[in-house]
Amino acid sequence: MTSAIGLGGVNRLPESFGRLIDRKRPVGFTFEGREVEGFAGDTIAAALAANDQWVLSRSFKYRRPRGILTMAGQDSNTLVQIGAEPNVLADRRVIEPALGVMGQNYDGSLEADRGNIIELFGRFLPVGFYYKTFYKRGSWKFWEKIIRGRAGLGRVDLAAHHGYFDKQYLFADVAVVGGGPAGLSAALQAAEAGAEVILIDEWPILGGSLCYARLGREGDQAFNLAEKLAAQVRARNNIHILSDATCTGWFADNWLAIVKGSRFYKLRAKAVVMATGSLEQPAVFRNNDLPGVMQGTAAQRLIHLYGVRPGRKAVVLAANDDAYGVTLDLGDAGCEVQAVVDLREQVPETPMVHATRGRGVPILAGYAVTEAIAGTAKLGILGAAAARIAREGETDGAATVFECDLLCMSTGYSPAGQILHHAGTRFTYDHAASMFHPAILPPHVFAAGSVNGTYAMEAVLAEGKRIGWAAAQDAGFAGGAEPPAVTGDRGAVGQTHAWPIFPHKAGKDFVDFDEDLQVKDLVNGIADGYDDIELLKRYSTVGMGPSQGRHSAVAAVRVLAKETASDLATLSVTTQRPPYVPEKFGHLAGRVFEPERHTAMHHRHHELGARMMVAGLWYRPAFYGKAEDRDKAIREEVLAVRNNVGLIDVSTLGGLDIRGPDAAEFLNRLYTFTYAKQPVGRSRYVLMCDQTGAIIDDGVACRFHDEHFYVTATTSGVDGVYRLMLQWNAQWRLDVDVANVTAAYAGVNIAGPRSREVLAKVCHDVDLGPEAFPYMGVRLGSVAGIPARLLRVGFVGELGYEIHVPASQGEALWDALMAAGGTAGIRPFGVEAQRVLRLEKGHIIIGQDTDGLTHPLEADMAWAIAKNKAYFTGGRSIAIQTARALSRKLVGFTLEDPAAPVPEECHLTVRNGEITGRVTSAVRSPTLDRVIGLAYVAPDQAAEGASFDIKIAGGRLIKGRVVKLPFYDPETKRQEM
Amino acid sequence: MAAIEPHAQLRRSFVYRKLRDLGARFETVNNGAVALDFGRAAAEMETAKLLGLADLSPLPRTGFKGTGAVEWLQSQGLAIGAESNRGYRQPGGELALRLAPTEIFLIDSLAGGGALIERLNQAWSWGSERPRKLIGYPMPRADSHAWFALSGRAAPEMFAKICGVDLRLDKFVSGRIAQTSIAKMSGIILRQDVSGQDGGATPLFHLLADSASAEYFWTCLIDAMAEFDGKPIGLAAVRWLLDNPALSRTTGEGGEQQRAG
Repeated sequence: MTSAIGLGGVNRLPESFGRLIDRKRPVGFTFEGREVEGFAGDTIAAALAANDQWVLSRSFKYRRPRGILTMAGQDSNTLVQIGAEPNVLADRRVIEPALGVMGQNYDGSLEADRGNIIELFGRFLPVGFYYKTFYKRGSWKFWEKIIRGRAGLGRVDLAAHHGYFDKQYLFADVAVVGGGPAGLSAALQAAEAGAEVILIDEWPILGGSLCYARLGREGDQAFNLAEKLAAQVRARNNIHILSDATCTGWFADNWLAIVKGSRFYKLRAKAVVMATGSLEQPAVFRNNDLPGVMQGTAAQRLIHLYGVRPGRKAVVLAANDDAYGVTLDLGDAGCEVQAVVDLREQVPETPMVHATRGRGVPILAGYAVTEAIAGTAKLGILGAAAARIAREGETDGAATVFECDLLCMSTGYSPAGQILHHAGTRFTYDHAASMFHPAILPPHVFAAGSVNGTYAMEAVLAEGKRIGWAAAQDAGFAGGAEPPAVTGDRGAVGQTHAWPIFPHKAGKDFVDFDEDLQVKDLVNGIADGYDDIELLKRYSTVGMGPSQGRHSAVAAVRVLAKETASDLATLSVTTQRPPYVPEKFGHLAGRVFEPERHTAMHHRHHELGARMMVAGLWYRPAFYGKAEDRDKAIREEVLAVRNNVGLIDVSTLGGLDIRGPDAAEFLNRLYTFTYAKQPVGRSRYVLMCDQTGAIIDDGVACRFHDEHFYVTATTSGVDGVYRLMLQWNAQWRLDVDVANVTAAYAGVNIAGPRSREVLAKVCHDVDLGPEAFPYMGVRLGSVAGIPARLLRVGFVGELGYEIHVPASQGEALWDALMAAGGTAGIRPFGVEAQRVLRLEKGHIIIGQDTDGLTHPLEADMAWAIAKNKAYFTGGRSIAIQTARALSRKLVGFTLEDPAAPVPEECHLTVRNGEITGRVTSAVRSPTLDRVIGLAYVAPDQAAEGASFDIKIAGGRLIKGRVVKLPFYDPETKRQEM
Repeated sequence: MAAIEPHAQLRRSFVYRKLRDLGARFETVNNGAVALDFGRAAAEMETAKLLGLADLSPLPRTGFKGTGAVEWLQSQGLAIGAESNRGYRQPGGELALRLAPTEIFLIDSLAGGGALIERLNQAWSWGSERPRKLIGYPMPRADSHAWFALSGRAAPEMFAKICGVDLRLDKFVSGRIAQTSIAKMSGIILRQDVSGQDGGATPLFHLLADSASAEYFWTCLIDAMAEFDGKPIGLAAVRWLLDNPALSRTTGEGGEQQRAG
């Protein structure tokens, strides 16, 4: 390979070619470690082609050399590796300085792949190889290593750096997908009608096929039209052009997924026009996959978009007039066309055919290419063998070999209808045109141009106009006169040959390049009984590779129709699903939106060395100190609360203001207890069940006014409780207002025998004395000048005050209490210590000591159920459960062997090998110096003193003994002091 | 004059550390400290026109909701129109955001004096009438929600990266409110435009969002703003937008009530 500095490569054409490149800006990169120079705007494949490098990668199964097929990113032939990024489309990725590009799927070197030896064993790897081989016992053991060693495309770098991807919403009245003549025309007309239009196009310049195809004898006709239409589009301020962007999928209600660079766009449009064009289809003959064999449109893209000569000597396999445009373009680009091999018996004498003859290019009508003659190591081709067509798919007579290094295929198209498929469009086969076309479109979705079976340029432009107008109407814009409907010939007939498939007795006549599937593979699959296209797809893997059947689906269904003697009109291609082209996980993940909620004291915890833990979206201190000192820190924090004074941030607890004349009635209906007669200034436990009687949340209801309860909820439960409250409030129509004020209040619990003493230093307007402010009392006052709601609660089992203040003043409250407690040795404590403290006190944690089925009787909480209420949520279910025998019961336990290990949460309780329950909480209590815990056991094992087995790690059984709760301070003197 | 330290105040912005780390100069307001500027006042004014993010969390705000809330506020002299999801400008520059037929979120003018809000908070009481007249209930909006201002012409496109509502200037007119998901969290957006001397308008969006997520929001917004060269600005730059004499006229749509603008 050589690199012609300054010329951009040996195959670079004069400056009149190459619409996408900037010859003033050379760009150097490497391919397979060798330096290559191209121009800004070149794709990798174009720059390599310019430098005579035609092999880009190797195929997945047989490791056959592969090169340019479409130059449109539609195939897997050009997948290359760039650093940590595998499967980059070399024919779409624009070169950048210092890009390091490598081929894929080879051992050794790209040109001399040791793995290519597998091709010799191809006949031992028939279609359905997996199914035929692995039902045999033991065979997987043999094959697994080989298969795993070769599986996958490209190389994943597990240490790859995170890329920056993000997402953005887009909005439009009308979205037009495709910036070819139909799309441009539709966008203009929709905009004319007053709609706001977004035009999405894959390419850097607008015009679609007009940018490279040839409309007639003169070469510039198409591009001049593209420029004219594009200029009109750019002049409209209600058309937003999104170039270099691919619509990858249609989802419900016209939600379009669009990928552009590292950004994933989410577009919701009132109406969508699909003007996605068509995909040129390869012909099937021996060696049709080798570098040097490409589609006619690929050669035209190389010439016109990148200024690259696609070969020196060419043969064109034709079945339509576009092939003659290709022939003329090749000639203009200095490529010597040896012959046009036309599948058609009668070649219409069109201006381009006439021009071709005028250039002295022989036209072989009624001939087919039977084989591309492979060059050394199949790295290219040396010629094309052509023979006269005897009957469908067969030739006879001696083949003529034309020397060439380029074989262009221009034998037909298939609508690029993948996104229409996503939207639920039904396609039917048109025998006259030998193509599928959209028959029934869903509401608010429109199609124009060749995707809709319209090829003649005048008809395409007219249809674009008509459809653009209709889409605007559909979106509610009635402006502009109604363009006439397109009638008459739309140019589809004669574009596509009905049978461009010429199987070869020596095979390597590929239908699917991704999966290296030959004609005989499909024939054998059908013979094996997989005679439905969806079954054949899964059995043979046709259409399952990276290009998702874009070039194989139609050929496969043709083969199926022939083998099963079916009418193609009764068949369809396989279901197309999003994405249309590969999306990266980065695109789907986008920017990392991982919401975090911080309490007002969050940074104080960090400053004090807290190890944080997540609780829903919240971050809470687990304990304070080094990770390696965890147990010691928790123990010290527990003892500080028991013996002195501790301070914990409880801001994450849910807070709900329930206000209104019916507030007490509202709570009566929602919670299991009674609240009508709850005095102002007191709190009361709340237990919420769902309608099946299962416990879903708990907290306390603080009555600050006849009509005002401040209800707490669990950190993770409050959002669900709030939703339920809103739902029931709407249903019951009580006069109540529900407000979730969780974030509005920061809260702390100052707890321990010296908590009153510390609080008294900064709280002067509330009498903190035990009689004036008893246990379960609630007060409004101020702490350190901050307005506060004060609650005497006993979750940790010591004298304590929860203080709830406006969140913006939470940090000031923390600072004030820490300062006030300085001389007393106040110690912050975390969630872990609180869990130990509450367990010592026998309090359950909803969600830890209960599960989705636990009802109050099982949790030994019958005391929390009001006996004489007419109704509460779940009450009826609880009544039924009460009438039934329990199947398990939550009990407190300790271990019979003090030296036994602490069971872990979810260790099972068992009896005679049967599971009876599980441990829900267990710790070695720093206060009591023994293991304590809560566990579900069989009801007949729940009596105080009963013993039961716990199966701990390793299957060992240890004995638990039921203990009456609470473990600590059973007279509750300490919290009521 | 000694620098004002936000952590010396009782009320602290939910993002004061981030502001302090960016070199903010603070001004005391409402027992708190608001970032006045970041030491580049002139540049911040230019940023305000392009894309600026200001933390207004220390400024006063409140809310009232429930049966009778709007009627009571109207009886207190507030001008509140019938349409929900609209902001209504008060004579003192405060904005009453009608979130629902019975819910008002009231944010102060950028002067931050808070007189109206203080008066309303003081005026509300349970009362002694029986049956009690229903006048709604106060809401702790100064603490439940952080308050950010996003100004500048690039704001709608920046919002499109984190919010699914179409906030483009011709679709989301001044005075409109969106209550929606922003970067996966709930939030309220109010557009309040500022008319320019050239007749053009500098869009100003108030973002009211979960105070506990304020640091998360700040980080998301700064990240989303980067591609537009958006930067943090101080209250002074936002005030400049609003206080410029030529910018004082309202641009809201017509109607009985004066909408935000």
